Amino acid sequence: MNGPPAALLRVRGLRKDYGKGDGLVRAVDEVDLDVARGETLAVMGPSGCGKSTLLHLIGGLDRPSAGELWLNDRRVDRLSERALADLRRRQIGFVFQAFHLMDELTARENVELPALVAGRSPGQARRAALALLDRVGLADRAGHLPAALSGGQRQRVAIARALVNEPLAVLADEPTGNLDSASTIEVLRLFENLHASGLTLVIVTHDERVAATADRLVSMRDGALVDETRLTGGSERSLGDLIGLENCDG
Amino acid sequence: MQQEVVLAMLAKEPSQGYQLRARMNDALGPLGDALNAGQVYVTLGRLEKAGLVTVDSPAGPADRERKVYSLTAAGQERVAGWLAEVSWPKPDLAEFHLKLVAAAAAGLADPISIVDAQRRELLRRLRDAQRAQLAEPDGSDAALLLEGIVLRLQADLRWLEACETNWTTRRRRSG
Amino acid sequence: MGKVLLAYRLVTRDIRQHMSQAILLVIAIAAAAATLTMGLAMNGVTSQNSYEATRAATKGPDIVAYLTAASQANTLVHAPEVSGSSGPYPVAYGTIAFDGRTAAVFAEGRSQAPAAVDQPYLTAGSWVRPGGVVLERTFAEALGARVGDVVTLNGRSFTVAGVAVTAAQPPYPNLCSGLTFPGPGYSSSACPPWFNIHSANVVTDDSGQIWLTEAAALGLASTANPLTTWVLNLRLDSQADAQSFLDRHYLVPPVADGGNFRGPMFATWQGIASEDAVLVQDGQAILEAGALLLALLSIASVTVLVGRRLSEYARRVGLLKAVGSTPGLVAAMFLAENLVLALFAAGAGLLVGWLAAPLVTSPGAALIGAPGAPPLSAVAAVEVVGVALAVSLAATLVPAIRAARTSTIAAINDVARPPRRRGALIKISSRLPVPVLFGLRLAARRPRRALLSAANVAVTVMGIVAVLSFHADVDSKLGAGSTLTAGGLSDPVVARDEQMLAVITIMLIVLAALNAVFTTWATVTDARRASALMRALGTRSGQVSSGLVVTQVLSALPGAIVGVPLGYLLFRAAVHHGTLAPPLWIAGTVLATVAVTAVLTLVPARLGTLQPVTEALASEAA
Repeated sequence: MNGPPAALLRVRGLRKDYGKGDGLVRAVDEVDLDVARGETLAVMGPSGCGKSTLLHLIGGLDRPSAGELWLNDRRVDRLSERALADLRRRQIGFVFQAFHLMDELTARENVELPALVAGRSPGQARRAALALLDRVGLADRAGHLPAALSGGQRQRVAIARALVNEPLAVLADEPTGNLDSASTIEVLRLFENLHASGLTLVIVTHDERVAATADRLVSMRDGALVDETRLTGGSERSLGDLIGLENCDG
Repeated sequence: MQQEVVLAMLAKEPSQGYQLRARMNDALGPLGDALNAGQVYVTLGRLEKAGLVTVDSPAGPADRERKVYSLTAAGQERVAGWLAEVSWPKPDLAEFHLKLVAAAAAGLADPISIVDAQRRELLRRLRDAQRAQLAEPDGSDAALLLEGIVLRLQADLRWLEACETNWTTRRRRSG
Repeated sequence: MGKVLLAYRLVTRDIRQHMSQAILLVIAIAAAAATLTMGLAMNGVTSQNSYEATRAATKGPDIVAYLTAASQANTLVHAPEVSGSSGPYPVAYGTIAFDGRTAAVFAEGRSQAPAAVDQPYLTAGSWVRPGGVVLERTFAEALGARVGDVVTLNGRSFTVAGVAVTAAQPPYPNLCSGLTFPGPGYSSSACPPWFNIHSANVVTDDSGQIWLTEAAALGLASTANPLTTWVLNLRLDSQADAQSFLDRHYLVPPVADGGNFRGPMFATWQGIASEDAVLVQDGQAILEAGALLLALLSIASVTVLVGRRLSEYARRVGLLKAVGSTPGLVAAMFLAENLVLALFAAGAGLLVGWLAAPLVTSPGAALIGAPGAPPLSAVAAVEVVGVALAVSLAATLVPAIRAARTSTIAAINDVARPPRRRGALIKISSRLPVPVLFGLRLAARRPRRALLSAANVAVTVMGIVAVLSFHADVDSKLGAGSTLTAGGLSDPVVARDEQMLAVITIMLIVLAALNAVFTTWATVTDARRASALMRALGTRSGQVSSGLVVTQVLSALPGAIVGVPLGYLLFRAAVHHGTLAPPLWIAGTVLATVAVTAVLTLVPARLGTLQPVTEALASEAA
């Protein structure tokens, strides 16, 4: 099957099973998916539908039971643990729902960490970290510990961390799951921004507002993709229709 | 456009037609683009007939834009009363709900397809509204309104999700 | 009443849920308790008590006189303080051979009828008869001879008729050690040269005591091996006067005979008793040092085991407080579980120690001691239980108090203590390779844990260094590093010391190994989330494992180095003039300990990296 020529990520027949025999649970069931370069894809579904598992498989954090995974025209589902680590290092950035920042490191040190792991010099890592913190709007908080940051700020630090090694794609697992409304807006703004700069983004979410930032939305149920909606182009109606101004009841 | 809204816009001071429209546009931001000038004046006309607004034409040939509108005492009373009301816009879900029931009963269309189509439309609307919200400066009137629209659309989408689950279960049960 | 029931339920359910940890805790404390029990049992059954028992059973003498002529007995027997006597008995010197082993003997000729003073107590067989000899028990054990065996004495065959103990001689191989000498210029613990001045046989300290019929003793003598010594046993009116009796009856000044002192020599019962005590002195020192080490290791183990479950305790505490318990009750319940386990462990340790005590406490074959398990005094039992409870308390008190003081809501939400930040270390580590970066930062997060690890290793090394020093000391005492005398007999004192040392060493190694496993496993599990995060950010599994090893080695190495002087100190405190272990052994110990720690960390670390990253991240935040 020929995917679209600019497909950064190709998933074919991906499957993940847990348990055996009667206790077999199929978390991801024969999923086929393409993600184009520069596209923002949202994956929605009820809890337990396997969307997080799918993301973990794509990000190399877990191994599929069957299927193929292609990243940038390179097959990645059969890689060794070591090669997978390299993948996570350079090509994929991951953003978690729980942020998973190191509590004893400042924002800058947290963002630097993947760069140091990738072997860049401390000076380079520091510069890259500061630049990214500036980009996510937290330049003045670079020296703060996570405990001194709000939820939205922490998630932005996590996003900056995911970007520090200039990955091909950023995968975000329920990035606004732990955030309140105002923090969610901060993160949404950032995603729009990143999307505008050409980053490829795959976001798993149950929040429709987050999904609305995507170009394309796929729905999952019981481990399988059941729906796809193209969101670019927006609605046929104009903005004003949203408030029903044309209705003239008196 | 509710009459009371126009009345309230005049509460601060008497205004000319164009000033009134400008004030409303400011408050609605990008959503104000759809504001139909004609509708406003039709409403103003009705209010004048009801004795809640007086119109003064300035000297010379006056188009509606330049006429000065002001509240009467009755009008002010009406505004005060409206401000104190605690009614809330009614959600109109019944129409959609009945649409699904009818379609299923008559076998005219698959209710789940209807729900999916509506979901898609609402998602696109949500996207538009949210983009507009993010484009507005934080804390502006328009941003606040847009947030309300976004959140309501989100609520409606959640209900549509529930509809989908419900109708899917019904279909599965009936075989 | 309801509170007690609640406490009971919570405690039993918790123990059942965490059975393996409870078992480990019990083992750790029981090991220390067992050693302590053995030490106390040994304390209780001192040779002093046994010597008294032996004296009573053998009608032991207050004074033993070694005469150069049988006629010398008259003045002594008729001295006013003397209330009873036996002898003088002729003593022949000779060589005994059995089963390839040979030794010099001090053969006392006795009548077949029981003596009034010093009638050796038979522990096996029967008394002397024509053709039959009775061996002193320690000597019999060393020789390996039993009742019925045939031995050769100066070439003639005799049957071993019996084995006996006596209070009139120190045990083999300290024959002459009980002798008091008339003044300066005469070396102690060497047999007087006139004992056998005209004979080819030389009597030394490690000659064995045997009894045979007077006729047989006289028969052993020959022109080449004449009789030179007679033994006279005296009973005095008041026992404490033994020394003043001696002062009066030693021939002063010594009569010169070729420059050697020649005249009766004496031994007092006090002198003999103190020689008996020597047998157990070193052993006691070993046991006490061992008990201390095991107690320390025990505390360390319990601290690690308890510390792991702190956050869970904190949550339970919060829940209890939320339903209205007072802080005091909360702390009490927290302690209750560990104290219950400690009590159980104390009981187990007491039992094991009591059963194993005979191995180390039988006060030497020389004296009467209960052949079975010695009675455990109530005081000793209370002491052991007290120590077990104290160990448990020491490890759990601080967390208990902290748990009681935490605000309720913080406890329920389990706001874990955030890790410490060490800015300088973080900066330094960013210049180092990734495994060292990870390992260093991990160690810096929990300095108290790192210190505890170091302390564990220090105590372990301390124990090993002390034990090695004991071994070196024992080896040097024997010179050649063997426990056998020239004739092939084993030195019972040394053998007993070695036996005890071996027991302690094994227990030390077992407990140290357990401790090391607990600590490394705890470190790896607590670092699970941080390890998973590093892997999620692209660190290779091998780098993560190496990092964990670095963390452990960072504590283990300083701990091991500190343990060395501590071990020496402990050894010196126990044995005041011992030889220290050679530096090569010490260096080897330090390296081996660090290496073992590294390996013990590597295994759980490697296993941990097999877990998928997402699972590990979901585990409790460290």
